[in-house]
Amino acid sequence: MITLSARIRRGIRIAFIVIVGLILAFPLIYLVFGSLMSDSQLTSFPPAFFPHSIHLGNYSAAWNYMKGRAVLNSVIFTVVTVALQWALCISGGFVLAKLRFRSSNAITVLLGISLFIPAITTLVPTFIVAEKLHMINTYPGLILPIVAQTGFGTLLFRQYLVALPGELIDAARVDGSSWFTILRRVIIPLAAPATGAYVAISVLTAWNMYLWPLVVATSPNVQVMTETLAPLASSEYGQIPENIAFAATALTTLPMVVAFLLAQRSFVRGLSGSGVE
Amino acid sequence: MAVAIRVKAKNKKPVGGVQDPPSSWDNRDRAAAYGLLAPNLILYTVFIVVPVLLALGLSFTSWNLVGAPQWVGLANYKAMVNDPAVPQAIETTMIFLVFGVVPTVVLGLLLAILVNVQFRFVGVVRTLYFVPAVVSFAASAILWQWIYRPGQGFLDYALKQVGIDGPAWLSNTHTALFALDIIAIWLSLPTAILLYLAALQRIPKHVIEAAMLDGAGAFTRLRKIIWPGVRNMTILVVIVAIIAFTNSSFDLVNILTQGGPINATSTLIYYIYYAAFNNVQLGYAAALSVLQIALFAAILGLLALARRFAR
Repeated sequence: MITLSARIRRGIRIAFIVIVGLILAFPLIYLVFGSLMSDSQLTSFPPAFFPHSIHLGNYSAAWNYMKGRAVLNSVIFTVVTVALQWALCISGGFVLAKLRFRSSNAITVLLGISLFIPAITTLVPTFIVAEKLHMINTYPGLILPIVAQTGFGTLLFRQYLVALPGELIDAARVDGSSWFTILRRVIIPLAAPATGAYVAISVLTAWNMYLWPLVVATSPNVQVMTETLAPLASSEYGQIPENIAFAATALTTLPMVVAFLLAQRSFVRGLSGSGVE
Repeated sequence: MAVAIRVKAKNKKPVGGVQDPPSSWDNRDRAAAYGLLAPNLILYTVFIVVPVLLALGLSFTSWNLVGAPQWVGLANYKAMVNDPAVPQAIETTMIFLVFGVVPTVVLGLLLAILVNVQFRFVGVVRTLYFVPAVVSFAASAILWQWIYRPGQGFLDYALKQVGIDGPAWLSNTHTALFALDIIAIWLSLPTAILLYLAALQRIPKHVIEAAMLDGAGAFTRLRKIIWPGVRNMTILVVIVAIIAFTNSSFDLVNILTQGGPINATSTLIYYIYYAAFNNVQLGYAAALSVLQIALFAAILGLLALARRFAR
């Protein structure tokens, strides 16, 4: 009897888990369905859940609305930002973890402080710096100030590399390898899990970034997707039909959903700061 | 974020050992060390350190972008004290934080306990809980303004089934801030669940089973076994949530309500943006920024202290 009631309770619990999960994911599930509906179905009341017929044309209309250029800019911004920042963070984290020199701790603290400064508070001064460097409405202006936010990544790699045994590096030193070779041959391969976590979280941050592009990239040539997307939410009577707005939202969101499904392990590590043993 | 906080707490005694300068440590090695670190630090200095110092400097000036900044001493700070919008913005920020962070932490723990069970497709089902983490503020704003839409959205439709006429969630002064909180909670829950799940999985299974055999009820188990296991993690969850809600208090407000209706969602962080970009009072906005950083640092500093003592 005990096992039977335990099994029933387990079954109820699992059913409850699935229902709560579906509620949490509901807005995303509805995003997919809504993006395939006709405008009249999406705006009908009571709200419809399943599309009557599939309107794939919504996606090409959404692509046209975002002019494709914004999609391309988001890809360029994300890829270049993450690649450059990764190179800075892993080499910086390596030096801070494995080389002893006088200002090492001070530099670590300096990098850590940035995590406690909300981006908005330095928005205007950062804009002034970018303007002095003639970077407004350029890719370098969009990308470099974000690449410069190396605090999180450098500390993440430092934390990971500190725990690596020093013998590997000693052995390479005896062989006469330079520090750069050690970084390339020893550290980067060993730090692959940390790189996975870092890339997942940084791609997400860059892809979804809104504030800095909003002020530095006002020309359509360098605008990213979040900028073209945000105005669709601010008015109930948007510039384009609702179903197209849904398709545009899906276009920006689904790539990250797919990436999450493919690399869930790295995302989970990254989201939990990877400092969670 | 988690990493930074752990670094301070843990690295008094590095495992694995920071390398002592080897006997062959010479100028070439030192040059290599600085060479590898330099690009990082140069960019960081130009785009992070200099702007922070510039913000501090600007807060003592009056500047509207035309001409050069005028030195005004403490005038901006005095104006801040006399500006009734400032205490209001602080209050709004605090309400937004408390009604966002507390539910995130409580729900995060409860949901983590709920999904901390093994069954065949548990990985797939847990994905449903984690996947909102990848949604941007802009995309979530579009989705939720649709759910909130007065008289037409899913929320009002569901309420109508039980005989309630929903308000205009985002344009009613009483509900707008909480409507934004719910979106931010939805976005923050995955991280909270993840962190708690990691802590829960460190509690040995046989401890819980033994307690159940002893007849300990669910509440006793929560208090005596689960809570001691997740107490330290809770402070980390709170810190991560505060950082997330501080960011969302700009993005969501700017996209969905622009501080309205009648300033009901004008958080301090949004007020800074408003002062800088609408009123073009850059000196005043900088002074507000200093206040924001001080508040933020004070809250997080207290929590970091609490974390240290909780160990």
